[in-house]
Amino acid sequence: MNFIKRKFFTYYLKPKIEFPNRFDRREYAFIIDGVMHRHISFSSKDSLLSYLKINVPMHCYYSSAYYKEPSAESMQDKKWMGAELIFDLDADHLPIANLSYEEALYEVKKELKKLLSFLIEDFGFKEKEISVYFSGGRGYHCHVINKEILTLTSKERREIVDYIMARGIDINEVVKERKIEKIGKVYFDRTYEIFPQQGGWKGRIAREIIRFLKRIKEMERESAIEMLMQLEGIGRKLAEEIYDKLSDERLRRIEEGKIDQGKAFKKIANSLAIKLSVTLQSGADEPVTADIKRLIRLPGSLHGKTGLRVTKVKLSEIDEFNPLNDAVVFGDDLVEIKILKPFKIKMMENEYNFKKGLVKVPEYLAIFLVGRGIGIV
Amino acid sequence: MELFKFAKYPFMAGAKEWVKKEKIGMDEILFDGVYERARRRGVERVMNALYKGKINEAPLINEIDCMMEIFSYPIARMIAVAVESDYVLRRYALAEAKKAYELLKNEEEIILKEVAREFDIDISNDEMHFSVYLKYAPHEPKWKLVNRELRNGYVKIAKHEIARILQEAIKNKIYNELSFLYAPQEVKNIFREEILKIRRRIIKTEKMKGEASFESFPPCIKNLISAIKSGANIPHVGRFTLVTFLNAVGMSVEEILKIFSSSPDFNEEKTIYQIKHITGKISGTIYSTPKCSTIQTWGLCFSNENCKKIWHPLLYYKIKSRGK
Repeated sequence: MNFIKRKFFTYYLKPKIEFPNRFDRREYAFIIDGVMHRHISFSSKDSLLSYLKINVPMHCYYSSAYYKEPSAESMQDKKWMGAELIFDLDADHLPIANLSYEEALYEVKKELKKLLSFLIEDFGFKEKEISVYFSGGRGYHCHVINKEILTLTSKERREIVDYIMARGIDINEVVKERKIEKIGKVYFDRTYEIFPQQGGWKGRIAREIIRFLKRIKEMERESAIEMLMQLEGIGRKLAEEIYDKLSDERLRRIEEGKIDQGKAFKKIANSLAIKLSVTLQSGADEPVTADIKRLIRLPGSLHGKTGLRVTKVKLSEIDEFNPLNDAVVFGDDLVEIKILKPFKIKMMENEYNFKKGLVKVPEYLAIFLVGRGIGIV
Repeated sequence: MELFKFAKYPFMAGAKEWVKKEKIGMDEILFDGVYERARRRGVERVMNALYKGKINEAPLINEIDCMMEIFSYPIARMIAVAVESDYVLRRYALAEAKKAYELLKNEEEIILKEVAREFDIDISNDEMHFSVYLKYAPHEPKWKLVNRELRNGYVKIAKHEIARILQEAIKNKIYNELSFLYAPQEVKNIFREEILKIRRRIIKTEKMKGEASFESFPPCIKNLISAIKSGANIPHVGRFTLVTFLNAVGMSVEEILKIFSSSPDFNEEKTIYQIKHITGKISGTIYSTPKCSTIQTWGLCFSNENCKKIWHPLLYYKIKSRGK
C-alpha cells in the first residue's frame, strides 16, 4: 500500500459520508489503484461503508441521476428516472491562468456566489433545495434537488446553463432602441431604454449599468476613463465622451431607464453581461449541467489528489469557509517528504514556503503535497 | 357555444366527452352515409398536413358544421396512424397544432387559460414556471430563457405568446397519443386508397431525402466538405457537425464515409467507428446537428445572405431544397 492509500485507509475506517438522497437508486463509481470501477449500486449504507474500507478508493463518485437499475451496464437498462441539477465550478475552467491554489479557490467562490444569486433570485429555488460542496480539488459543486427540475431533459437543462452563462443573450433587447416620430417632421428620432425594474438579465444588466456609472462618476477623470476603456469595444474617444457627458441630470435619467448613447451602452451592456455571468465547466460541446447522467464526487469522501474531504458548505457560511482548514481530515503528526519544486501555501493557519529538498511537515500537508505531485515520500 | 369551441379545438378532453354523450359510435361515423362529410374532412386534414403542412380551416356556421368538424378529427387521427409512419405522425401533429395556433391567437384570455389547463400549464398573472416554459418554448433566440424576464422561478409571458406555447403543447400531446395507437382494421379498409396514396408519397420524399443535394447545403457544411477534400485538418467538432448533418439529411454510413475518404489522412476503421457512434449505431444516441450559435462559437460558421433568420443548418437545407 502506498503512502496515500495507507492514510486514506485510516479515514475510511470511520468516514463521515453524507449519503445522497434516494441512496439505492444511484450508480456509484470508484477509482481504485488507478482503475475506474463503474455501475455499482448499494442496497444499504453499511455495504457502501464496507466497500470503502475494503477497497480504499482514491476517488469516489455517485450519479446525479436516479435509476431503476443503477448497476445495469448500459443506459437503456439502467432506466433513467430523473436527475439532480448539478453545477460544477472549477478553477481549471476560469479564464485566468497562473493562480495559486488559494487564489484559484477564491476566484471560484466568486463564481459560486453569482451562481447562487441566479438560482435563488431568478430560478426561485429555496435555500434548502440547494447544497454546496467543496469538491476536494479546486472547486465547488452545487446540487439542486427540487421536484420541478427532476425530469428536465438535457436540452432543457442546457437552457438553464445558457441562462446562467448569459449565452445567447440578445443585447438589443437589454438596451432597447425606441424610434420616436417627431410631430410634424418626417424623420424618426432614436432613444434607448434600459429596464432596471425588470427581472431576468434585462434588469440585472440595467442595474449593473447604473451601479457602474455611479462609480465612474465619483472617480477622477483619468482613472474613470481607464476603467471604461477596460470594457471591450470602448476606446479612448468613446470613454471620454461617456465620462464628460455624465451629468447629474443625465445619470438621473439613466436611473429611470432613459439612455441616448445607444451604441456605447450596448457595448457596456455586453461587457457587463460577461462580468455578471457565471463561468461553468464546459467542454466544447457539453456543459456538464446539461448532462443528465453524470457522476459527481461523493460528499464526505476524499479527493485523491489533495487528501481533502468533499465537504458541505452551508450557504450562510460560504464567505468564512476555508477549504485548507475546514476540509482537512488528517492529523498533524510530522512526516518527512521530499519537495520537488518550490511551493507556497497556507494550511491550518500555518504558512509554508518550501524550497526543493527534504522537510518535515504535518501529515495533512504531506498528503496534500504528495497527492498534487509537489512532493514524494 | 361549447360545440363551436370543440369544433375549433377537437383535441380537448371536452370534445371527447361530448362525442360520448351524443352516443354516436365509431361504427356510425365510419359507415353511416350521414357522416360522409366528416370522413371526407378527416381525409382532408391528413392530406393537408402532408402536402401543405397546414390544415385548411373549415367554415363553422351551424351546429352540423361543428359536429362534422369534431367527428373528422378522430377519423383523421386514425388515418394518420394507419399509415404507420413516424414522419406522417409528426407532420400531422404539427399541422393540427398550427391550425389550433391560428385560432388561439385571436381568443380571449379565458379560452387560452382553459386550453392551457388541458396541458397542466398554469398561467397566472402573465407568468408561468420556468420548468413548464422550458418544455414548450420554441427553439428560437427570442424564446431562449436568457432573453426572458425570469424572477422567482416564473417567466413573464405576454398574451399573444401563450398561443405559441400552446401550439407546442398540442403538437406534443397529439404526437405522443398517436405513437401509442393502432388503427382498427375497418379504418384500414375504408381508407385503403388514401393510405396507399400517402405511403407512395412518403416513399417519394424519403427518396428525395436520400439524394441529399450538395447545392442546398449551408455554407458551414460546404466549407467543411471542401476543407476535407483539400486535405485541411478539421477539428473534432467540425467532423462531428458534418456527420450529424449528413446523417440528418438521410445519407448512409457508406455515403458519409465516401466524403471522408477523400481526406488525405483518412483512417477507414476509425472513421467508420466515429460515424457509427455519432449516428447512434453504436452509442444508442443519435446526436443532433448543432445549431448555428454553437457552430459560431466553434468558429465554423461562414454565413451568407441566405443564413439570415436561420438558426439551424438543417433549416437552411430544408428551405433551400424546398425552393428547388
